[in-house]
Amino acid sequence: MRRFLNILLGFLLLGSTALAEQRFPPPDFESGYKIPAPTTPFARAEFLQYLDMAALLAALGVSLWLVYRSRSRRGIAALSLCSLAYFGFYRKGCVCAIGSVQNVALAMFDSHYALPLTALVFFLAPLVVALFAGRAFCAAVCPQGAIQDLVLLKPIKVPAWLEHALGLIPSLFLGAGVIFAATGSGFIICRYDPMVPFFRFNGSSLMLGVGAAFLLVGMFVGRPYCRFLCPYGALLRMATAASQWRVRVTPDTCTQCALCQHSCPFGALREPVPAAKSESLRGARKRLTVLLLLLPVWIGLGALGGSKLATAASMVNPTVKLAERYVRSLSGGEKEPLEIQRAEKNPEPVVASALDIRKRFELCGWLFGGWAGLVLGAKFIALSTRRKRSDFEPDPGACYACARCFETCPSERIRRGLMPVELEPTNKE
Amino acid sequence: MNPELANAGQENLPRAAYRAWLAAAWIAAVFCLALSATLLYQRATATTNDPWKSPQLRELKARLAQAPKDTQIKTQIRALDLEYRQRFFRRLRMDRTGGWLLLGGVTVFLLAAQQAAGLRKTQAAPQPSPDAAAEALRQAGHARWAVGVGGAVVCGCLAFVALNTQTCLPASAADIPQLFGKTSGGAASAAGELFPLAEFQANWPRFRGPDGSGCSPKGTAPLAWDEQAKTGVVWKSAIPLPGFNSPIVWGNRVFISGGDAEKRAVFCYDTADGKLVWERPIENVAGSPAKAPEIMEQTGYAASTMATDGRRVYVIFANGDLAALGFDGAVVWSKHLGVPKNQYGHATSLAVWQGKLIVQLDQGEGEPGNSRLTVFDGSTGKVVWEKARKVPGSWASPIVVEAAGKTQIITAGVPWLAAYAFADGAELWKAEVLDGEVTPSPILAGGLICGASPSNKLTAFRPDGSGDVTKTHLAWTSEENIPDVTSPATNGELIFYITSSGMLTCLDAKDGKKLWEHDFEVEMQASPGIAGNRVYVVSTTGQAWVFEAAREYKELGKGALDDKFFASPAFAAGRLYLRGNASLYCIGEK
Repeated sequence: MRRFLNILLGFLLLGSTALAEQRFPPPDFESGYKIPAPTTPFARAEFLQYLDMAALLAALGVSLWLVYRSRSRRGIAALSLCSLAYFGFYRKGCVCAIGSVQNVALAMFDSHYALPLTALVFFLAPLVVALFAGRAFCAAVCPQGAIQDLVLLKPIKVPAWLEHALGLIPSLFLGAGVIFAATGSGFIICRYDPMVPFFRFNGSSLMLGVGAAFLLVGMFVGRPYCRFLCPYGALLRMATAASQWRVRVTPDTCTQCALCQHSCPFGALREPVPAAKSESLRGARKRLTVLLLLLPVWIGLGALGGSKLATAASMVNPTVKLAERYVRSLSGGEKEPLEIQRAEKNPEPVVASALDIRKRFELCGWLFGGWAGLVLGAKFIALSTRRKRSDFEPDPGACYACARCFETCPSERIRRGLMPVELEPTNKE
Repeated sequence: MNPELANAGQENLPRAAYRAWLAAAWIAAVFCLALSATLLYQRATATTNDPWKSPQLRELKARLAQAPKDTQIKTQIRALDLEYRQRFFRRLRMDRTGGWLLLGGVTVFLLAAQQAAGLRKTQAAPQPSPDAAAEALRQAGHARWAVGVGGAVVCGCLAFVALNTQTCLPASAADIPQLFGKTSGGAASAAGELFPLAEFQANWPRFRGPDGSGCSPKGTAPLAWDEQAKTGVVWKSAIPLPGFNSPIVWGNRVFISGGDAEKRAVFCYDTADGKLVWERPIENVAGSPAKAPEIMEQTGYAASTMATDGRRVYVIFANGDLAALGFDGAVVWSKHLGVPKNQYGHATSLAVWQGKLIVQLDQGEGEPGNSRLTVFDGSTGKVVWEKARKVPGSWASPIVVEAAGKTQIITAGVPWLAAYAFADGAELWKAEVLDGEVTPSPILAGGLICGASPSNKLTAFRPDGSGDVTKTHLAWTSEENIPDVTSPATNGELIFYITSSGMLTCLDAKDGKKLWEHDFEVEMQASPGIAGNRVYVVSTTGQAWVFEAAREYKELGKGALDDKFFASPAFAAGRLYLRGNASLYCIGEK
């Protein structure tokens, strides 16, 4: 029931926020009346920023306790609702861990930018948790994940090949977001976050449409944004590779009934794989060797290609856009519009600044291209690596620690006293 | 109770419940879809009620621009505007209500659908794959392919974006001074040029002479010529491309332009023998559309007369291409101003003053941001200033006058006869007197600025006012035989103008009183010209009359040429230059 209410809440937002986009044009006053200038709201009180950090740390702690100690799906669902209410609707999706990546990137590349402590904590805390205990942040703290989890109705399985192909996007989006932030061109991860318009009851038609599409798809495909777009998720996925504690379906013996795999809406449960035969291993080793040798080539080619994107990418930067318009108006190709006249800027420094930004984009283009090459090469290597697995296990990178599998595992149900021991299935059965 | 009946009842209960939930889900789904469609339709149709986009409101505003004092139109606009705003807020309320209804509908749908699905839910009994190792290998192989294809698609998209992005910015910071028309030392190159005022006044550097009045005060020109009798025609040269622009003369060079949909070019002739010295096509102008816009044949692509400051010649065509050429024919700079939105085609001529090129580009229907007056640096093409004008398309040409201690650019465009400061484009004064399709250019006559509403009235204003001078600086108004196409000519004392039907009128520039009129009873499209004390008028069929610039009509001579004439005469060095449809004529003594 709670899930339904949240789904409906999402639809309400979809319906109502669409109206907020349209701006009513002011009338042409002939009487000389001047429309009052907009005023700037007061800055948010400092203690509220500490409250945000405290809420995040507390939510992470509770999430860890719910995943590893209590192992309660209901508890996680309840915490998701709280996170959605506070970090989503009350805080309107900002500050959030996903966007904080850009704050950190900007602070690293721009010495004039002071990184807010809140953004740093939101960036680091979920990462540190992931390094030690998996994606407890995604489980019940992230509002973007929570809203998708709550609209999930009838999950269908995404084919593995499609999952892997679409899984490239978050890493590439992460690279692009970092580069645009580092060059001071804007926080594209926030700008194109499809859930934020719902949290804010406002947004462009495009983003509302994209958000609605994600939620509609999310009714049948578990957490599509988290799996196929979230750039912070790409970071967390990498961090979980080194995590000490991992989510386990049951601390007891796995009966290999496959119910956990069936219950996972995110395709995160990996089935047991026996050791490969030596003859088939030979070809696999050869492929792996070739791919490992090709990794530097991928990176190099990517870097070279990325450098060619500098001009196109720099067009996103407002200073470069302004300079382009200045130069176009100089050559007569475009009439100098009112906003340029109102900018009242000397065009020469603007053009000089634009060239400087473009130079930074050239460097960032190399880095982005190299990163894209690394992601692609690493993916090929990962897909050519075999791992022996004796039980059903959650993939730590893909598992959102939602605890759904706990409830379906017969061993876990017996351990918790929810099922009589005599009904325990065996491997033979 | 019969146990069998009791079991049957228990089995029927979930079935009935399932049907009930399913029916509820369907009803809710249909309700949601219908409501969504209604909301979407309402949102789509709402744009027609947007006051910015309403054709009805636009039309009313356009009418108001034509008649700004019409209170009835103002009332209509206010009423319509209010109605649209009320509709807007009514729609907002409806949308909000619709949104809540949609929420309710979706709630019922989801609740019912989940209950129905729960009643049909079967317990899963999955089994581990018998050949998990082979399956894993197969899946990994498919995934590698998918990742490869996905990666290739992403790379392809990025490559497409990279290859299709063009930048106007210079390659390096070292090119910035050049971009802004500065030398490496930082000084504007044009600043070093001196404006040759005496030469400027001695030549015929723009449409209708140095000051646009159609007069060469110290000039002379022949009294009679006849092409068939081979008298008076110094030379005659063929014009390669059509155009209605008038010749301009500087030193020993005559310049005209011509063009059609395929080609636009500038032609330079030697005044001595009429030999075509050079011909320069104006092509590959950055931003200019590959296909020229369709222009009415009666206007053509080269209706605007060129201008020169003695160092460069400037040309504009109806497709919006503007260019500066050296006297050797080399293109100094060129730029595309955008295709002018002009129903008949752009015909306003260029003006020059002190090394600056003045371009009046009035276009559209008076929408904000369309029409503008731009001053370019003649040597670099850099925009010195630009002023937006709230006027629709016009065909009159600007003039530059020294009046009231200021250098003023006088423009005509419905409804304003307006003056701008040459220095910075500040609007000095304006008078709301023009209507119709303004084609006659303004003139400075006896210290007064005269502007004509075609076939309606000629109005004169003192140019020493500021702001709206419609009522405060009006000197006189004449409604005698006002021309529809041609511009008046003046020697400062008298004003001469002629209608398309050939009715010539002479006014006293001081008070606008009609002194005399004379009907030539022949079609005239060329404006009159004055050289010294002689006034020249040329008919479309090549007949010309010379009469005295005096307070009564006195014919001095006649001319006849075998061509069609629409362009206005030019005077320089004792000669008269006339552009026919096929040939350029030089009239004078050999």
